Amino acid sequence: MRFTISREKLQEGLAAVAASIPAKTTLPVLANILIETSDKGIRLSGTDLDIAVSTEVAADVETVGAITVPAKKLSEIARELPPSPVKIAASGEQRITLDCGRSHFKILGLPRDEFPAFPSIRFSESWRIRSGDLQKLISHTSFAVSTEESRPILNGVLWELKPDVMRMVATNGHRLAKMELPIKATGAPSADLIVPPKALEQIRRLFPADEELEIARGENHLGFRSPFTAVYTRLIEGPYPPYDQVIPKDNDRVAIADKVALTSALKRMSVIASDQTHRIRLSFNSGMLRFSVQTPDLGEATDELALRYTGDQLDIGFNASYLLEILRYMPTDEVRFTFKAPERAATVQPEGWNDSATYLCLVMPLRLVD
Amino acid sequence: MARIAVLSSAVADQIAAGEVVERPASAVKELVENALDAGAQAIEIAVEDGGRQLIRVSDDGCGMERDDALLALERHATSKIRSAADLVGVRSFGFRGEALPAICSVSHLVIESAAADGAGTAVYAAGGSVTDVRDVARRRGTTVSAARLFYNAPARQKFLRGTRSEWRSVLEAMTSIALNRRDVRFSLTHDGKVAFTLPAARTLRDRVAALWGAGAADRLLDVEDVRGAIHVSGLAERPSDVGTASRRTFLSVNGRVVRDTGIIRAAEAAYRSTLTAGLRPSLLLNVIVPAESVDVNVHPAKAEVRFRDRWIVERAVEDAVRRALGTFDASASLGVRTWSPGGAWTRPGADVELLRPASREMDGLFQPVSGEEDDVPFAARPGDMPPEPAFPALVAATEVAMDVIVPPLLQLRRTYIMFEHDDGVVLIDQHSAHERVLYERFMGMLERGEAPSQRLLFPLTLHLTPAEGEAFEANRTLLATLGFEVEGFGGSTLLVHSVPMPHPRFDAERCLRETLATLAGDRDAAAHARHERLAATVACKAAVKAGDELSQGEMRALFVSLAETRLPAHDVHGRSTIVQLSWPELERRFGRQ
Ligand SMILES: Nc1ncnc2c1ncn2[C@@H]1O[C@H](COP(=O)(O)OP(=O)(O)OP(=O)(O)O)[C@@H](O)[C@H]1O
Ligand SMILES: [Mg+2]
Repeated sequence: MRFTISREKLQEGLAAVAASIPAKTTLPVLANILIETSDKGIRLSGTDLDIAVSTEVAADVETVGAITVPAKKLSEIARELPPSPVKIAASGEQRITLDCGRSHFKILGLPRDEFPAFPSIRFSESWRIRSGDLQKLISHTSFAVSTEESRPILNGVLWELKPDVMRMVATNGHRLAKMELPIKATGAPSADLIVPPKALEQIRRLFPADEELEIARGENHLGFRSPFTAVYTRLIEGPYPPYDQVIPKDNDRVAIADKVALTSALKRMSVIASDQTHRIRLSFNSGMLRFSVQTPDLGEATDELALRYTGDQLDIGFNASYLLEILRYMPTDEVRFTFKAPERAATVQPEGWNDSATYLCLVMPLRLVD
Repeated sequence: MARIAVLSSAVADQIAAGEVVERPASAVKELVENALDAGAQAIEIAVEDGGRQLIRVSDDGCGMERDDALLALERHATSKIRSAADLVGVRSFGFRGEALPAICSVSHLVIESAAADGAGTAVYAAGGSVTDVRDVARRRGTTVSAARLFYNAPARQKFLRGTRSEWRSVLEAMTSIALNRRDVRFSLTHDGKVAFTLPAARTLRDRVAALWGAGAADRLLDVEDVRGAIHVSGLAERPSDVGTASRRTFLSVNGRVVRDTGIIRAAEAAYRSTLTAGLRPSLLLNVIVPAESVDVNVHPAKAEVRFRDRWIVERAVEDAVRRALGTFDASASLGVRTWSPGGAWTRPGADVELLRPASREMDGLFQPVSGEEDDVPFAARPGDMPPEPAFPALVAATEVAMDVIVPPLLQLRRTYIMFEHDDGVVLIDQHSAHERVLYERFMGMLERGEAPSQRLLFPLTLHLTPAEGEAFEANRTLLATLGFEVEGFGGSTLLVHSVPMPHPRFDAERCLRETLATLAGDRDAAAHARHERLAATVACKAAVKAGDELSQGEMRALFVSLAETRLPAHDVHGRSTIVQLSWPELERRFGRQ
């Protein structure tokens, strides 16, 4: 294997793959990056066994071949190289030489056979989705996944693909985020996929918004690919809990508030809220929202905010940090809350959002004690 | 039937003597207290045959003139009070004028005394009557010898126990006195063998070391607290050491050695949740209360006192001991201990008001949601991307505002948190420490009767064994107080709609399942014990485990919360949460000393 590549292309390729390399691993080869020659140049790949990322960059290939080398060292070297073409050549199965200007490196690696094979996914039957649309769903929902180990299903984001619509849902059982977007009918059949958020994070990071992605499903893996880059991920086995049943349809108390004003009031209250529960009390009356918080050993605080409210007077408790978090993702200046009762789910939606997407978050209340 | 007759005064004295002088040990105590009342700086006590043959107490106190030495043997002759009013707040040990006549009535007594170096008096008496008075030359001070105690009272003599047993009582009485008056030099011999010689000591700890060795002193923590008008000081055994050597207790109230099970029990209550059942700590406590709130004249041997408000005194003692156990010094140690008492975490006084913004910066354990502090405003343009979910940075500057100074922390084996301290290296067991933090929090919730509880979108379903079902029924209301709200309990299936949120890693389902499994088969306990048992079990199940990797922020949050607990050095099973290795111990091991 022997090729010449520009310093920038090498850095670009390494940056794309580096994030998938595990920081700590018991399998030494996983700390390495796989370098293979291809038709257009070279292909760089990395994996932590849950996710694999592979990307192709232009290079002048003299002789074909493949080898793995420590990702971290190679990235560090690439970062420090002078602005000259980089010549990389394998000498034997376990070593490369790297020359750039007057710099010369020999780096020990591992044979390519030791690198795990990527899941086999046939892209012949695939969905085609604009990456910007996918990224929009990811960034509005994946924050809500659970990190609890005992319910692994909730550790993933539910991605429902229908012929004309796609939807993402994430929840930790306390709060939920859901966004859906109409899509053009595509060839592949409908599917419910539960995807680890780590993989979605890579999707968000790696693909330009206007690129069309091919997405296909293997046995229990999912593959995303663009002309140059591919991401593979393990899928979490379902079924996902029936989230639709818990989204309230009959909430009859509605409040519309200014997002910025509400956010700052919540932040003020949070100073006094308990570090563990962040519990605050919201009292809705016509035209007025009153905040109050009491924390033993710390103190108490109240605040008020004018808003539009219809419905009977309501006192309800929440984890303020859940509310603050949801508000951060709301894309409009005003937000709409709906409630039924102090022990029932509340919904939060953007108010007056001129968009093809629909977005809804849901928060479960905290018990209030009088 | 015999005719009625007034007892001769000698017989009456003998009977009364039985109350004051029950056995050699009480005679020793009376004579030594007289010496102390006389302002002695050094007292020598010699005892033979457990005190049955001879008790001799020599002091360097003020001594007596001849008249006084004779008068001292009369009943109710005392130099210490003049009227009943003087009894209130009496400072001297003696005040009845009973001890010497009582001892004299049942022994061969010799008093040698001189009010100044040189000319002195020797008074000889037996069975209560003076037999001879002579001049002697001696140093200032008094020597009282009581020989053949109870020689003329066979009924009393019958009740005396063997030499060893009587000697043990004498030693015990003298130990109490020596602990009480560490400012005085004492020496005690039995049949010519030295039991102890104690130099005047600066602190109670020094006196303990002189009595029982430095090791014994090391096992004790300083107690020092003022609650209102009540001052509690002394030494309390470090929980990790309790049960490893014989238990010793000592209590003084306003400078008087007393027995008071109520106060000792209150002190022991402070150890609750730090000791395995059945173990009792050593306690050496001095309590000072306003003179008018205690009556010392209720017991013939003055061994008990009566408090006007006992509850207040007991709470003050409990609080003082708990405070001592709450210090860093209370933790277990490897080898030489040089910890400066109270060190390691600095806390502001209770009256200092503090906001605690610091924990806002902590991720993980003590803050459920990551990222919300990182406020990047974004415009509400359709299709706009929200900001990257940023992880909260640990901003060093916020530590300035913290009321606990957190040193750099290192996690070892995903089990221990290690840090360096002025006095040495400290290891914290992350599970035990978190358990302690949660236990105190849960106890607080059970006592206040409220806890935040998070409603769940999808109720948890738990399938229970019959024993677990029973455990659930027994603890149902307590669990609800902690935040586990259950709707519909159908024999073997629980539907849980709300759960507590003690920390972000908390796994409610696993915690509840394991708690019920542990409580299953518990025999019915008293209501209070059930509180503690439940809080301890839930805390154990809810705490981070050994093997959980903790972020810096989580370790710091744990450190701060632990410092804020009442008993940071002990988990709820009586094990240590903290182990220290002092620099001197390390130096010793590396041969640097
Ligand atoms: N070692 C001593 N040195 C100086 N004076 C003494 C000594 N022992 C006794 N006395 C004097 O003898 C008096 C009588 O002693 P005694 O012990 O009988 O009575 P008390 O100490 O006054 O009261 P109590 O009966 O409560 O002990 C004392 O009040 C004291 O004046
Ligand atoms: Mg006396």
